[in-house]
Amino acid sequence: MPAREHRAVVCLALLCCLSTTALPSWAAETLRIGAIPDQNPEKLNRLYGLLAQELSQKLQVPVRYVPVSNYPAAVSAFRTGGLDVVWFGGLTGVQARLQTPGATVLAQRDIDAKFRSVFIANTQSGLQSISSLEGLQTLKGKRFTFGSESSTSGRLMPQHFLQQGGVTPNQFAGGRPGFSGSHDATIALVHSGSYEAGALNEQVWTSALKSGAADPNKVTVIWRTPTYVDYHWVARPGLDKRFGGGFTTKLQKAILGIKPTTANGKTILSLFAAEEFIPASASQYAPIETVGRQLGKIR
Amino acid sequence: MKRPVLSAPLLCLLPALALVPVLIVVGQGLHGGGFETWWRFLQGAVQPSKDPLLLKSLWDGLQVTLATALVSWGLSTLIGLLLGVFSSDVLWESAKIPTWPAAAIRSLLALPRAIHELLWGLLLLQVLGLHPWVAVAAITIPYSALVARVFRDQIDSIDRRRLTAVLQSGASAPAALVSSIGPPLQPILLSYGGYRLECALRSATLLGVFGLGGIGTELQLTLQSLRFAEFWSGLWLLILLSVLLEQGLTFWRHRQQTNPSQWNGVSVLTMTVLAVLGGGHWLQQLLPTSGTTLQLMLPPLPDISALQLAATELPWLRMIEQTLRLTLLAAGIAIALPPLCLLIFPGRIAKQVFLGLWTLQRVLPPPLTLLMLLLANLPSLALAALALGLQNAGVMGRLLVEGLDQQNRGTMKAIEVTAAGPRQAWLLGCLSPQSRSYLAYGAYRTDVILRETLVVGLVGGTGLGWMLIESLSSFHWAAVLLIIICFALLTLAGEHISDGLRQRWLRTPGETAST
Repeated sequence: MPAREHRAVVCLALLCCLSTTALPSWAAETLRIGAIPDQNPEKLNRLYGLLAQELSQKLQVPVRYVPVSNYPAAVSAFRTGGLDVVWFGGLTGVQARLQTPGATVLAQRDIDAKFRSVFIANTQSGLQSISSLEGLQTLKGKRFTFGSESSTSGRLMPQHFLQQGGVTPNQFAGGRPGFSGSHDATIALVHSGSYEAGALNEQVWTSALKSGAADPNKVTVIWRTPTYVDYHWVARPGLDKRFGGGFTTKLQKAILGIKPTTANGKTILSLFAAEEFIPASASQYAPIETVGRQLGKIR
Repeated sequence: MKRPVLSAPLLCLLPALALVPVLIVVGQGLHGGGFETWWRFLQGAVQPSKDPLLLKSLWDGLQVTLATALVSWGLSTLIGLLLGVFSSDVLWESAKIPTWPAAAIRSLLALPRAIHELLWGLLLLQVLGLHPWVAVAAITIPYSALVARVFRDQIDSIDRRRLTAVLQSGASAPAALVSSIGPPLQPILLSYGGYRLECALRSATLLGVFGLGGIGTELQLTLQSLRFAEFWSGLWLLILLSVLLEQGLTFWRHRQQTNPSQWNGVSVLTMTVLAVLGGGHWLQQLLPTSGTTLQLMLPPLPDISALQLAATELPWLRMIEQTLRLTLLAAGIAIALPPLCLLIFPGRIAKQVFLGLWTLQRVLPPPLTLLMLLLANLPSLALAALALGLQNAGVMGRLLVEGLDQQNRGTMKAIEVTAAGPRQAWLLGCLSPQSRSYLAYGAYRTDVILRETLVVGLVGGTGLGWMLIESLSSFHWAAVLLIIICFALLTLAGEHISDGLRQRWLRTPGETAST
């Protein structure tokens, strides 16, 4: 056998041996937390890195943050067991719970019980402030964009209110709305004028105004939606079996126990744009399910 | 009467007609509102973020993408080679068995090939959950079928006299097959194998953009939230990796040509096995606890009535029409742009600039390009076509330049001395001899573009691709199933047409000139 091939065979044999050493690492029981990607990754990494650390300390189990880059992937990962605890939006949380019988709602933020979306418009579009649902009709024939197709505040509820105001998505310019993919992208696309108007999460809008990412001379709010319930923490069934009796309750207590009094807690809460986490129940999300079914997002 | 025939270099520029409607629409839609954002985007290129936490996560993402690409490349080459051999008529003939199993394997392989790796990825994600090997499987399945087809075509086009001679000398069928097919397969294994690795890297990145992990995920999230400095840190890393890989492969190809005896099929096969084992091990190390063991978790399957309902609900004609329009426009741009660029700006410096630009176009996944274009333009189907066309133009451009560099410059010199202008000389002397093989590749690329319309449909809100994503996000399985079938049928039809065109263009020039 020539020397070159001889060496190749030796390398191969070594690698085969090495790969067997990797197998035992499957066994470690880790709590995998995830979130729908509604923030920039730097913030997601910082936020969930800290949260994983905090939860790991409180619960005495290894906690790992698994990044996911689209909404349905988070729902599927939750259903198939790739993620144990997920920070879902209203719609995705309902979808995930319908697909994963036995999943429990753990908590929401103080702001989630009364959440809002805002409709924004480019100042050169000539769109005026809207004071009633009927006023939404002025959006007919305009270039309009939603955020991600599965977003509660960037698509589902805005589309629901538009429908109540008598506007269907095919009445926008071009016969269809755009889907920018994220709240930040919606601001940028309306800001640039590519779309004349759009709808997004009010909390993201407020922080964009504060940080200067949105210029009030170019984009303004034309309407605030009525309130609805949004984001929540959802846990998979069977965590008690994997991590010991009463684990789900302990997990819920750990999340509710994050307070601004500790340094870690303060950072986490400010990254979540919340004062505190509060208990939440599945029944609060029944209206979201109804709207989801009406608009065909829940089958 | 003689039928007027378009000469080859003109045929090559003909798809440029697709540029006309695209430029009209895009030109009208252009506005200054997004220039500010563009400026920030360009600033990000010069001043990428150096945040250590970010760099660490980008570096991890890059490794995941590379490991995924390596494993799936190795696996698909090995599986593809096996399937290629088994789907070739020669194999069955040599063993004196009827050849229908070969034909059966070939038609079975059409299905995995017709479905884009992104679609496989999204589907497997539903069935297997979030697991690093889902991306590997998503790339391996269609790639194996593609590789199998290339090898099968190659094997069946090999001169069989040699095989017959060896068989008649009394050798056993397997031995005869290895000794007669092996050597002619080697060059294609070497050149095509390398090309597939580049494709695998692009696919792994794209899968990341749609949530299957790696650097693509980071790029998508940073761009979506308009963190340009952070986006560019990732993009620069990816560009660096792609350039290193491409240059490495070019160097390797060069080595093969100068010193062919040193490289043989066995060493390539060893490399693929190494890639699978090494990459697999690497992936395991990078993501040790990210997945439970792989298990089937089928979503609820739709029943007949749900399928019927979905079939009547969906706007089929409009979706198919938009998909086809998108394909044709993008293919026109992809095929015509590189020769046009080189024709309008001849010269060495311009060529280097274009090569750099094309690298960037290849590296950027089309959904990201589209979002950037959308910032300074009104939304339209033409814009989506432009985003898709630009990436493929990057691929076509490099191929064209490689072909041009390898050919004999005699004809061009001869035309130049007749006092023709540099552009005329380039068109007739340089592009003309290349245009047939370029067009043949263009036909194949069109096929790829049809599959890729899925990718921009999402952002543009158009066509079958968009409807598929919308149905997936509503977990509307009946619609998902129907759209996939429709997509597969369209792709198969497209493949059939592009095959016909390719064969026509690859016929010897003398033969066509006389018609």
